[in-house]
Parts: sequence; structure tokens; C-alpha cells
Amino acid sequence: MSKSLLGVSRRDVIKTVAGVSFFPTVAFSKSSQKRESAKVVIVGGGYGGITAAKYLKKENPNLSVILVEERPFFMSCPLSNHFLAGLMELTPLCFAYNVLEVKHGVKIIRDKVLGIELDKRAVRTSQGYIHYDFLILSPGIDYDIEDKPFYTETLVYYPPAFKPGSEHIYLKRLLSEFEGGDIVITVPPPPYRCPPAPYERAALIADMIKRNKLKAHLYFIDANERPLINSEGFMSAYYDLYKDVATYITSAEVKDVDVRKRIVKTSHGDFRFDIANIIPPMKANNLLASAGLLKKREKWVSVNPLTFETHVENVFVIGDACVSYLPKSGYAAHSEGKVVAKILSARLKGKEVKEELLQMVCYAMVSDKEAIMTETSFKYEREKGRFIPIHREDNERKESTAKRYIEWAKGLWRDMFG
Amino acid sequence: MDRRGFIRTCGVIAVASFLDARFFSEALANQEGLLKTYNKALLTKEDGSPISEKDILPHKEYIFFYPYASTPCFLLNLGDEVKGAEIKLNDGQVYLWKGGVGTKKSIVAYSAICSHQWSYPTREYAFINYYPPDKASETTKRASVIQCCAHLSVFDPKMGGKVLEGPAEVPLASIVLQEEDGKFYAVGVLGKDQFDAFFENYKTDLRKEYGSSAKAKQLVDKCSVVEVERYVKELIRC
Repeated sequence: MSKSLLGVSRRDVIKTVAGVSFFPTVAFSKSSQKRESAKVVIVGGGYGGITAAKYLKKENPNLSVILVEERPFFMSCPLSNHFLAGLMELTPLCFAYNVLEVKHGVKIIRDKVLGIELDKRAVRTSQGYIHYDFLILSPGIDYDIEDKPFYTETLVYYPPAFKPGSEHIYLKRLLSEFEGGDIVITVPPPPYRCPPAPYERAALIADMIKRNKLKAHLYFIDANERPLINSEGFMSAYYDLYKDVATYITSAEVKDVDVRKRIVKTSHGDFRFDIANIIPPMKANNLLASAGLLKKREKWVSVNPLTFETHVENVFVIGDACVSYLPKSGYAAHSEGKVVAKILSARLKGKEVKEELLQMVCYAMVSDKEAIMTETSFKYEREKGRFIPIHREDNERKESTAKRYIEWAKGLWRDMFG
Repeated sequence: MDRRGFIRTCGVIAVASFLDARFFSEALANQEGLLKTYNKALLTKEDGSPISEKDILPHKEYIFFYPYASTPCFLLNLGDEVKGAEIKLNDGQVYLWKGGVGTKKSIVAYSAICSHQWSYPTREYAFINYYPPDKASETTKRASVIQCCAHLSVFDPKMGGKVLEGPAEVPLASIVLQEEDGKFYAVGVLGKDQFDAFFENYKTDLRKEYGSSAKAKQLVDKCSVVEVERYVKELIRC
């Protein structure tokens, strides 16, 4: 990897990027009245929605909990880079939604949500309206491509694989059929889903080039000046392991992609490629804007950072779609799902819950066998409405960390589907 | 009950329970379902002879299976006297943990199933481990703790398995030990055990290892105590 293109010195890289989040000071909980029965509708069966559904039923067996999800199966984005790099099959990442119905009594409606009508307290699907007393929205992301139409084609030709499912399968096919040449990966500016994911993917694809002794080169084009998390660990891996097979181009803006000529035009020059993984900028799922939960030019939904409740009472947004002090990730969505389940359970009983600050644990592979990780806890300065992250990074690449990574994911799946 | 009263009560129980383990649960009736008695199971060495205090080396991590054939527990000698403690759960329930047993009251036992997302020591890997005073965790810098490396839940074996940090919401369940004439017995489980989730989540693994779910769920009346590093191929510490 060309050192001049790193853009930052090793010393700079060691410093953790400060990620202090500010929120307007908010009241934690609203007064609540005990309810005899209620209906909770959850939109989106990802890490957040599934966890909220399961924990709500666990705490309140008689509560009506409806989960609306279009996909027939859950597929995990965490560990999906393992799948793309050929380190894992797809099957262990997939789970059936009906487990939630059978084991926990969550009603699953497999349908596309067409709209959310807050004034009617209803979710509109192709089969009709589903009315709710409480609404938990966990619909994830959409790609933010309106003002950059070239992305419309790249989504089809060179899928981002940041939404679970067919995008991963097609990208995996491109990688499996790749026998040599140039690969391009582009990283958008933050916030996007799972900050370490593109950096992990770059390391694993570089590793794949090395492992398979391909005559190939990876051009890793990053809108950011360094990896957003675990910079030291990623940079060391890139430099120590992949400098001959990869070039890391930092602070580069993607201006255009020509899918036919296979060229990415950036602020740092043009890059030809044989295959590519073009990751566009992201925003909250389009449903939220059409529901009126986003102001003009806002990309993510503002919520009370401790309760995840929107400005509309009893309407919550969790997971990647909201602005939270937590980074956008499956782990965060899972934790937020638990918090919202607790808040609603208490509210149904006419009680309030003690506020809690969540923590994050995040792993990333840097080779086919080794990983690095970060644990982040948060301090909340209420008067200033400020959350201060305290990072504990382990940037030394280790096989044991890679094994912990698998156990980390399995634990989450046990918690969601067990 | 205040702490003084509790310790005194435990003294009485220790004598009374020689006769009948049920007395133990009745005497601590206020535990409200948080104390469950199972078979009174003798802790043995690998050769089947009763384990004695001198066999349980300070700060060494041992494993045994109780109350079921497949549910792992840690046995630890923490070196010094471990006093009893009042454990408060986040749902408001309170229970009393009686502290260590043995002549120095330094021997404790806990379920080795992480109360967060149920990692446990298998023959292959142990992600959850005891960190002795001279081997602090590299990540949390804590020593004398039980720590799970999957999501970094940290538990205090000196305080009834209380959560010190991390995502776990309830303490590790503790195993109620009794010492009689130099022999050690497991008699019950105190706290929020995770056995239902354990059996549900690991059904396939347990069937493979034990032959059937029924065999994995067999209640034991004898527990062979083994050093964790001999039982598990790879200890994953962090």
C-alpha cells in the first residue's frame, strides 16, 4: 500500500477520532397511564425489530405484538463479510422469522409497508391498514442517491451489499468469478451502516487476492481521511499485510461511476476496475421521510437519545434509521430494541424505567484468521446534552479475537431467535 | 435482614443443613424462587474420590457440572475469606448470597453460563473465564473477576457474581456449596439461572455431546472437578 496515499501518519492514526454526540436536553419519560391491553406494531425485522418484538412478548405475554417484514428470512449483515470473503457459508447467517411466532407468540406479517400514517395511528401495507397503540420503527437504511444518479446503475451492477440479501449474493458471485485484474471498493462519508464494515471488507478482499495468489490489485477509495474506528489496527494490517496488493486512497470523493467502461472518477483521479463494490452514501429508510418523521434535508430521524421516542408520543425509531449516540450497527439496534421493550413494558404498567446508557462491542477481521475489536461505553452530560464515548480499542490483530467475533455474533442470534 | 443477621443465620443454616438440604431453602424463604435446591452432589477429583480443600488451589479455575450433567460451573478458591452479600436484581428482587465455604471461607462456585448471551466453556473454547489477581484482563484491566470475552460482561466472584460492567443485566447464578467433614457438596442454585435458555439454545450441541437432550438434562449426584485448562482446548482471554 502506497505510504504517500495513506494521508495520515501512523501517530495520527493511533488517536481515536473523537465522536462526541450532542443532543438537546430532553426529558426522559412522559407520564404514562396503565393500560389493560395494547397493540404494538413493529416495522422492520432486523436486529432492532426482532429484539424489540421478542422482549416485549417475553415481558408481556398477553400483549399483541405484530412484526411487519417484507423478507421471508432474516439475514445477518454482521459476519456477512466472512461470507463475501469465502470464510463462511450463507446459511449460518440466515434465520426464519416464524421462530418468533412459534416460540414467543409474535405475529409476523410478511408484507411491504407502503406508508405510515401517524394521524391514523396506522401502518399501511399492501393488504390494508394495521392499527397500533405503540409503533416501533426499525426499517434500517436506504441508499442516498437522489443527487448522484450514477449510483442507480452501480446498485445493480456492483451492489453495495449493505442491505442484507441479494446484494450480498451477487457481490459474492462477482468475487468468486474474479480471476485477476483491478478491484475497486468505495467508502461513503459517515454516517453509514456499520463504520468498520468497509475497512474489514477491504482487508478481507486484499487477503483473498493474496491467499488465492491472484494477479490483482485493490484500490480502496475512502471518502474519509482514515478508518473511522480501529484506525491503528486497520492501518497496520493494510501496511503490514497488503501493501503489495492494495492501495488505500483517502479523503477521496466519488464523482462518477461509468459501469460500462468500468471507471470510478474521484477527486483523486480515475480508477479503472474489473469488478467493484460501490458503497453509496446512506440515509434513513424512505418510509420515515414519507411518514413526516424527517424534516427537510434531514437524513436520519431525531429521537430522544435515551428512550428512542420521536416527537410523536408512543412512536419510536430504533436502529440505523435514528440519530443516536451509538454508531449505526446491528449490535446497537439490538440493544436499542431491548431498551424500547423495557420502556413500553413499563409504560403499559403505568411505570417508568430507570434510564440506562448502552455500550458497544464491535469486531472486525483484518485477515482470514485475525481480528481487532473496540468496546465503547458512554458518559452522558445531561446539562450539556452531550454523550462522550470512551473507547477501548484492541488493535493488535489476533486469532483469538477472530474467534470471539464469531461467538459475539452467535450470542446476538441466540438472544434474538433462541 | 441486615448483613450481620444474615451471616449469623448462615452459621445456623450451615449446621442445620447437614441434616436436610431443604431446611436451607426454607430458612431463606424470602429468596422467592431464586434459590432452587437440587440433588446434594459430592464434588470429587477426577479419580472419583472426594475433593478436599487442599486440592482446590487458590485462583485456579476449575469446572464441574451441576445441577444437570451438561450445565457447567466454576469452582474457585479466592484465597481469602469471601463474605456474604446482598444481591439486588434490576427488577427489585433481593437475595442473600452466603459467601465462601471451607476453613478459610474462600471457596465459591458459580454457573459458568454467561447471564448475557449464554457463552459457556465447551471442550473447544472458553470465552468466559476467571482472571486471577496476577493476570488482569488486557481489555478491562480488571483482575479477580469472571469475564466473558464475547461481549465483555464482567462479574465479581467476591460479591455473589454481581455485574461489574458490560451488557449482562443479571449476576451469574451462584452454586450453593456445603462443606461437611472436609468434603464439599453442591446443593442448589441461587440467583437467576440461565438453564432454560441454555437448553433451548444449545439443543443440537448438547444432543451431539450427550447423546440426547434427556441425558444432558439428567440431574447429577456427583460432580467431577477438573481444571478448566485441562477440560477446554483453548482458553480465550481478553
